[in-house]
Amino acid sequence: MHKYIKVFNVSWQNEFTYRLNFILWRIRNLLRFLMTYFLWSGIFIGQRQIFGYSQEQIITYVFLVLIVQTFVTSAPSQDNIGGEIANGDLSNYLLKPVSYIKYWFTRDLASKLFNLFFAVFEITLLWLIFRPAVFFPAQVLSIAGFFLSVTAAVFINYFLSLVARFVTFWTPENTWGIAFVVLVLIEILGGGIFPLDVLPKPAFFALQLTPFPYLVYFPIAIFVGKVTGLYLIQVLLQSYVWVFMLYWVMMKIWQVGLKVYGSEGR
Amino acid sequence: MEDPVIKVKDLKKYYRIHQKEPGLAGSVKSLFSRKYYNVEAVNDISFEIGEGELVGFIGPNGAGKTTTLKVLSGLLYPTSGYVRVLGFEPFKRQPKFQKQFSLVMGQKNQLWWDLPAWESFILNKEIYEVPDNQFETIVHELSEMLEIKDILKVQVRKLSLGQRMKAELVAALLHSPKVLFLDEPTIGLDVVAQKKMRDFVKEYNQQYKATIILTSHYMGDVKELCKRVIVIDKGIILYDGLLEKIVEKFAAHKVIKVDFEKPIDPEKLKNIGEIKENEEMHYLIHVPRKEAPKRAAKLLDNFPVVDLTIEEPPIEDVIRQVFNGGKV
Repeated sequence: MHKYIKVFNVSWQNEFTYRLNFILWRIRNLLRFLMTYFLWSGIFIGQRQIFGYSQEQIITYVFLVLIVQTFVTSAPSQDNIGGEIANGDLSNYLLKPVSYIKYWFTRDLASKLFNLFFAVFEITLLWLIFRPAVFFPAQVLSIAGFFLSVTAAVFINYFLSLVARFVTFWTPENTWGIAFVVLVLIEILGGGIFPLDVLPKPAFFALQLTPFPYLVYFPIAIFVGKVTGLYLIQVLLQSYVWVFMLYWVMMKIWQVGLKVYGSEGR
Repeated sequence: MEDPVIKVKDLKKYYRIHQKEPGLAGSVKSLFSRKYYNVEAVNDISFEIGEGELVGFIGPNGAGKTTTLKVLSGLLYPTSGYVRVLGFEPFKRQPKFQKQFSLVMGQKNQLWWDLPAWESFILNKEIYEVPDNQFETIVHELSEMLEIKDILKVQVRKLSLGQRMKAELVAALLHSPKVLFLDEPTIGLDVVAQKKMRDFVKEYNQQYKATIILTSHYMGDVKELCKRVIVIDKGIILYDGLLEKIVEKFAAHKVIKVDFEKPIDPEKLKNIGEIKENEEMHYLIHVPRKEAPKRAAKLLDNFPVVDLTIEEPPIEDVIRQVFNGGKV
């Protein structure tokens, strides 16, 4: 355990050395927020309800996307793992009594918390500027469900992106291909741009058979009270089934991948 | 007999590699069909190394030295064969095994680029679960020996290559490994730093009774450090034994160094042996190994000799000849 605490500590130190990168990354997130915020505010002019969402619910959705996306999908592992496998830096970890998978999870977590701190600050600031009416869940269950599903989302996102990066074991020259496709899918199908239940019923149903909606859409939908009761329990169960399934698949690929790993360049 | 620390039997490691034809046309073609072929990086090698031995691995580029070290470290999955290090199967990468060895590569770094080396040391301390007091003693000792005490708090990216290599070495030795694989540890270092590194390896070997395998392009490293060498080329072992015996085995000749009283007509020396150097009155003559005493006597009888010695050819020459596939 100690070793991962130290990894966490060093990761934070490292984050501080990339000041400019970090600021630009936060600005990107803010711009995206402003875009969706103004888009939805425009749509709601003269309307009380759209797609079954009240204006408060949608605004809360948009605000929460900033937080949930920061926490779930921002992960330095995504930018590094493919490269480390391709150029042989993975060997550094394989030599030591440390788990590569836990190592990067810790670094991701460090980065997530670091970003979360700023995201909360930004949200407060934005809220003070726009003063929109926001929705706060009436049920304690919605809040508990929200935290449980965000936790699942963190793991789903991590295992999913590991699977995409591990393809590098077989094609060290294209570290980006599949990983990029997965990244785009996470961005669009995850629910970061719009709530997924505005889609036609069959499309929304089909999406639920993939892991993507469990990343951003469901956690927030639970928070704004769109998913309650038995449906809530079903969604939570499904998301944890995805966690374990993706973990299993990821570990299999990892074990087979290590056998073909060439440890090049060293 | 005691179990050897490292035991390798019939080890093979093949890589599958695809071949690309030159140029853009070749690149496009490789999108649709690829020709694969096997590279036999290590092809059926066996050896054993006992505790406290310092063995040199020598061979030209691509001989299979690094591949062997990577298999021994658990980085590569062997195609076939039996490998045990300290009784462990390396590829299983058990923490118990990993805490007892280290692999240092001259061309790659493990230190965090943007942070001082010190931070990487502490991270390694936690990863290897080194107790506080032991950590302090070792860092103190090693950084004193390598003279890098005052640069440990400087960002690694600001260090010179030599300083960085030394810091890398300290990072790799924090957990006092019993088995040490050094792959080209002196590559790119200046003469002074090379010497420091060698002295250090020697001392580490003696002080900690560590078992060490060293690969190097510099025969100097090997000559100074290793009694035993394993010569490897194209994935097979050509020689495994004492460094000094390698000359006897592979060199078909000896060298007679002779000084004369006055200038001599080189033509007259032709029937003694092959003249390799000729500086007025100083000659270097290669003669067949078994004939050496007879030829020397002949020289003494027929020429005005001031000084004469019979020597073995330099190891560098012998090794070069071995790699070229011929006798000397």
